[in-house]
Order: sequence, then C-alpha cells, then structure tokens
Amino acid sequence: MAHLAVNDVRAKYGALEVLKGISFSIEKGEIAALVGPSGSGKSTVLRALMGLTPVTGGHVALAGDQLDYSNAKSVRAARDRMAIVFQQYNLFQNMTVMQNLTLAPLKIKRWPRAEVESEARRLLGLVGLGDKADAYSDQLSGGQQQRVALARALALKPQILLLDEVTSALDPELVNEVLDAVGKLAAEGMTMIIVSHEMAFVREVADKVIFMDGGQIVESGEPAALFDSPRTDRARDFFSKILRH
Amino acid sequence: MNYRFQFGVVWDNLDELFAGALLTFQLGVFAFAGGALIGLVCASLKTYGPWPVRLLVNAYVVFITNTPALIQIYFLYFGLPEVGVRWSNEACLLIGLTLNAGAYLTLILRAGFLSVRVTEIEAGQTLGMSLVQQIRYIIVPHIAKSIYPALANFFIVVLVMGTSVGALIGVDELTGQAINLSSVNYRWLEYFTVVAGMYVVLTFIASIGLALLGRWAFRVKAKIF
Repeated sequence: MAHLAVNDVRAKYGALEVLKGISFSIEKGEIAALVGPSGSGKSTVLRALMGLTPVTGGHVALAGDQLDYSNAKSVRAARDRMAIVFQQYNLFQNMTVMQNLTLAPLKIKRWPRAEVESEARRLLGLVGLGDKADAYSDQLSGGQQQRVALARALALKPQILLLDEVTSALDPELVNEVLDAVGKLAAEGMTMIIVSHEMAFVREVADKVIFMDGGQIVESGEPAALFDSPRTDRARDFFSKILRH
Repeated sequence: MNYRFQFGVVWDNLDELFAGALLTFQLGVFAFAGGALIGLVCASLKTYGPWPVRLLVNAYVVFITNTPALIQIYFLYFGLPEVGVRWSNEACLLIGLTLNAGAYLTLILRAGFLSVRVTEIEAGQTLGMSLVQQIRYIIVPHIAKSIYPALANFFIVVLVMGTSVGALIGVDELTGQAINLSSVNYRWLEYFTVVAGMYVVLTFIASIGLALLGRWAFRVKAKIF
C-alpha cells in the first residue's frame, strides 16, 4: 500500500478550478518531483496537502488513514505528519534560528526541551549552519535562511517533506548549498515531494517525475524516461524548451 | 537689555513644579494606556469588523483627528455641563486626551495589523499552531516590532503636547503650575525657561526608557543619541 495516495483531488481559487482531479501515490522513502509550467498547479498540490488551499473534491490517504480536509482534526493530523518548506523561507523574523526550530516541538508537541534542543543542533549541523543558532533571519543570506527553514520543517520529524520551489528565490550561487542539503536528506531515505525547476537535480534524486499542466497530470514516470522520451506532445514541448541548455 | 533674571523665586517653588511634572507624567501614561486599549479594539474592528462597525470606527477616527484636542477638551469641560454632565477638570483632560490618543493609535495599530506577513502565518499553521498560538508567537511580536517607533513617538506627543492643554482648564500639570506661579510674581521668563528645561528632561528620560524597552523586548534598533 502506498504511503501517500492522492486520488482525484480538486481545488479552487474562487471560481477558478486550479486542480482538476490529481491522482498519484508515493511509497515510503520515495522522492516524487512535480514539474511543469508556472500556473500548472504544482504548488497548489502541496498547499492542498498541507490544508492551506481548500480541497473541493477527491481523497487523500496517508499511511492508510483517510484525510478529510474539511475537518480541523484531520487537517491537524496532516500537518502533524507532513511538513512544508516554502519558496520564500517564511521564517519567524522575531525569533532566533534556534527559536524557529524549537518553537513548534516545544509549544505544540510539548517534547522535552533538552531533547528538542539537541535535535535542533543536529539538524543545524546537517544543513551546515551549526554556528548560526543565535542569529536572526535578517542576519542570514537567502540560502542560509532556506536551510534554516528546511531544518525547522525536519524538527517536527515529519513522515513526508514537501518542498515548494525551495531554490527559486535564491541567487544562483546559493542554489547548490540548499540542493546539497536536500540531497543529504534524500540519501538518508526521507520521503519527499518536490516542486522544482532544477531539472538536473530532479533527474539525480527523484524516483518519479510528475509533469503537470493546466491543473492536471499530463504524464508521469521515471526521470530519465520522462525527460528523454516523453510520450505526450505537451511534455515533449515543455522539456525541449527547458532542457536545451 | 536691562532685564535682571531672578531665578530665586523659581527655586523656592520648585517642589510645586515637580508636583506638576509628576501629574504631567501620570496623565501622559494613563491617556496613552487608555488610548492604546481603544486603539487596539478599534484597529481590530476597522480591519476585521463588518462594514457598519468599520463605518462607526472611521467616523470616530476622522472626527477626532480632524479637530483640535483643545476643542475636544473644551467640549467636555464647558460644553457637557450645559446638558448636566459635570466632570472635574482633571477628569475632562484625561478623558479628552484618552479619546484623542485612541483615534491616532487606531491608525498606528491598524498599520501594524496590515503589515503582518501572511506567509509567516501560513508557516505557523503548517507547523500545527492554533489561532491563539499564531497570535501569541507571530502576530503580536510582529506588530509590536513594526509599530514600536511610531508608538514611542506618539507617547512623547501625548506627554508633552497633549497634557499641556490642561493648563487652559485649570489642571495643575507642569504648564498649569508654571502659569499659576508666574502670575503671582510675574517672573514669566524665569518660570517658562525652567519649565521648558523640565519638559526636555522629562521627554529625554521617557525616550531613553522607551528605547531601552524597545531594544530589550522587540529588537527595535532605536538610536538613543
């Protein structure tokens, strides 16, 4: 049984249907990449899974449990098991790096402080920011802030990590430091759904690539197969444009 | 110029000036605190309330910010007794200043409400925060930090400009005391020189206190000098 099964999920912004029946599944330890043009609904899939964009139809099952996004308890359960990292980092600017990482584990999960803090230090080490625990976000570069956001998401020990264009807001030379950190997580066997335009990175880490356009999944498959020999014209057109260089 | 300064009479009555300064400080603090409470309620209503309530809040803010504080206080002190509402001069001053500060603080606090980043709130939600936790850990600290300088400046405005209006309805705050004392012995120049100095010292102390509080509580990078 799939770890996460998304079945015919729909979502609307006002009258505009942005997800027109999305279905895919992901196994434990797998990495799925959502790719496609801007406005195709990739980010909305992640936002819908986290209960930020209302789901108007379909089913989501996580580890066998049905999630009902109209039910607050069910949304809490989703947020309990999945974590998201945003394009714009969204760190709490009034807190230090350490406080950003420990707030939710301490105040929401009520885990013991000593354990939470040592885990936070381990995670900061993992993303290469062991010396920045007491810094505030405005003292960090974009790449550093994004790595803090990654560590903050991991501090809640999620079963699935959702990455929403985590390198799109970064200067080119900062992209790799974030991708390196994500690569480390991939090597550790973290289950992830990645929205990304970094095709070389996707090809390297993803087990499955899902190509979306216009709120629908056009085609999906293993990265090499999809990138090199897409079956649909739409996918062939898209990849021929972005993989040229 | 053959004016001979005689500060002696001022020094003799210094304790009365200090009493006036203390009253000025108390009036400033209470009017600001009351105004902040009104401002907080009105700013929430103006931002999140239904339209009839927003209209009411707007009317209050527009009316108060577009009329002089002196007129508002005269209305309470000289106007209301005509219809049987009689308050002491100090009460009229405090109520007037509080209502006045409330309108200005509504505008300042509303700017703070509008500046909260939706993205930070979403980050909080996805970490599993309840609404109360979002308000406590994200919204309030953010508002406090972003509007702190404006709040601190406005406190000084209330403290100095606001309270001195009280002299005109016979409240013995610092300006009132200076008028009372100097009209006994006509040492206007000496009294108002000393009182101006006392205002400067009073606002200076308040500024340093506010800057330190801001740095300590909200990481506001306020310059003290």
